[in-house]
Amino acid sequence: MTEAALPVVIRAQQQTRASSLRWFLRKNPRMLVGMVLLSILLFVAAFAPIIAPYDPIKVTIGDALQPPSFQHWLGTDDLGRDVFSRVLWGSRISLSVGVISVSIGFFVGVSVGLLAGYLGGTFDLLAMRVIDALLAFPALVLAIAITASLGPQIQNAMIAIGVVAIPGYARLTRGQVLSVRSREYITAARTVGVPPFRLVLRHIFPNIANALVVQATLATAFAILAEAALSFLGLGPQPPYPSWGQDINYSQRYLANMKWWMSAGPGIAIFIAVFTFNFLGDALRDALDPRLRRSG
Amino acid sequence: MTTYILRRLLLMIPVAFLVTVGIFVIIRIAPGDPILTYAGEDPNPETIAYVRAQLGLDQPVPIQYAAWLSRALQGDLGRSFQTHQRVTEAIIERLPVTFELGAAALLISVTVALVVGTISAIKRNSAVDLLTTSFTIAGVSFPNFYLGLLLILLFAYVVPGHILPPGGFTPFSTDPWDNLRRLILPAITIATASLAVNLRQVRSSLLDVFGLDYMRTARAKGLRERAVIVRHALKNALIPVVTIIGIQIGAIIEGAIITETIFFIPGIGRLAVQAIPSQDYPVVQGVVLVSALSFMLSTLAVDVLYAFLDPRISFGGAQA
Repeated sequence: MTEAALPVVIRAQQQTRASSLRWFLRKNPRMLVGMVLLSILLFVAAFAPIIAPYDPIKVTIGDALQPPSFQHWLGTDDLGRDVFSRVLWGSRISLSVGVISVSIGFFVGVSVGLLAGYLGGTFDLLAMRVIDALLAFPALVLAIAITASLGPQIQNAMIAIGVVAIPGYARLTRGQVLSVRSREYITAARTVGVPPFRLVLRHIFPNIANALVVQATLATAFAILAEAALSFLGLGPQPPYPSWGQDINYSQRYLANMKWWMSAGPGIAIFIAVFTFNFLGDALRDALDPRLRRSG
Repeated sequence: MTTYILRRLLLMIPVAFLVTVGIFVIIRIAPGDPILTYAGEDPNPETIAYVRAQLGLDQPVPIQYAAWLSRALQGDLGRSFQTHQRVTEAIIERLPVTFELGAAALLISVTVALVVGTISAIKRNSAVDLLTTSFTIAGVSFPNFYLGLLLILLFAYVVPGHILPPGGFTPFSTDPWDNLRRLILPAITIATASLAVNLRQVRSSLLDVFGLDYMRTARAKGLRERAVIVRHALKNALIPVVTIIGIQIGAIIEGAIITETIFFIPGIGRLAVQAIPSQDYPVVQGVVLVSALSFMLSTLAVDVLYAFLDPRISFGGAQA
């Protein structure tokens, strides 16, 4: 009894939120690059009315079809509208369609996935067949069919792209729920009488959130590209409102006259926006969930 | 193996059924009245009622669906509201064009991915590898319709000699050389995005295989490097690549719709895009149905191929 067992206290060094974020970003430099790109995009979309040098829909025939210059960085279109200003304004459409449609897909898909994975049985069987049917369509074809029948409007494009995004979340969520469901901590929670709804939201959902964040980021990239394609086919916002895809479509008639700058701005803008979300999604996948690191 | 294929085909039936329901519902929720397109300009109410009854549009929706499905199963997808041509006929006329375009795109995407992906994996961290990896990120983010326009501009104004025409289509039977010449740009446009995905898959699955024991064994027993790569590494690395290619077929169908529009190619994609503004339901319905079914069948084909390539996959049923 000379050396009594003394309680050992190990104190972890307290970290502030800011310092742990700094640590995270230093460990994942690609995240930092992605975040910077995303901030620039968001800034442009939020402050487009202030940054844009000209009114994007104001027709000035005298300035028509000017190549890029100091006055008009990306030139002007056939109605004398400043392409650079239209590109800046167009980011609002693309980002809002991206965010809203992904939210629709996220909400519906995750709910279906959680229920199917947790309940199992008939609901699971039926829900998954519907998801399979949605997956049987090439994504863009389905989005085109839905938008074409609802009518060429921006809201309908959001709905269509949202519906197309549902299966991705539903399948991912269901799979994750199935793998988490049999873990000890879920059994423990159930044993102490946690009600099912709370169990799903408080114990299962937080454990699959990482994978969903990655999926949402990559889905936003797809949504922006899909919106551009729909607009290009005339199924997005209608003229004269600026939208990248539609502006490229519009520029096609001046292709033979070599007025390349009319499509260069919107084309590169789509690329940058989609690239940002793809890049960020990839970085997030590596950082948050190494198990998900796929090559596909 | 036969059991596996049969089982997969059986599983396809409920999904195919839901797909047809989905297509029918999507088209019928549309606002606006297609009759107005069909009945011509300024029709009187009797004409409208007559046309509506003739097309069965006065029946309840489930009955309309049943009638549509039973006709569709017999190969009758109705007539175009605009041209009054049979939809099946219109699709069959144009399907070979889209198929040729899609096949060319797939060929480009897979061949380039295999060659460049292998070089990139062998010479890891070289200049080629760096270029490849940058391309794989950029390629998936580049909008294919803008790429199409850029290629048209490039070959119309920058590259001298007009080697590749900016669009149009010549049937292979009429002029094989012109057919191929006109196919190259649209096929590259479609192939780029899926090439990026395939390239990445080839590279990363080769890198995975390179670390395995049998590779060391193959080298240790004195095989030439070429044999090690082709016979041991590539053969095993291709298995996951096959799955990815299956998924890419969907992307190729999507690409065809956009690309045919840009390059004035008379395929089913252009058919659908032209039918949209005039609410020509039967045509849109038909094209969406055909593309969904082709996608399902090609996914099945790829899955079967996959099971065939990878003996570790059990076929289910009697033989495990």
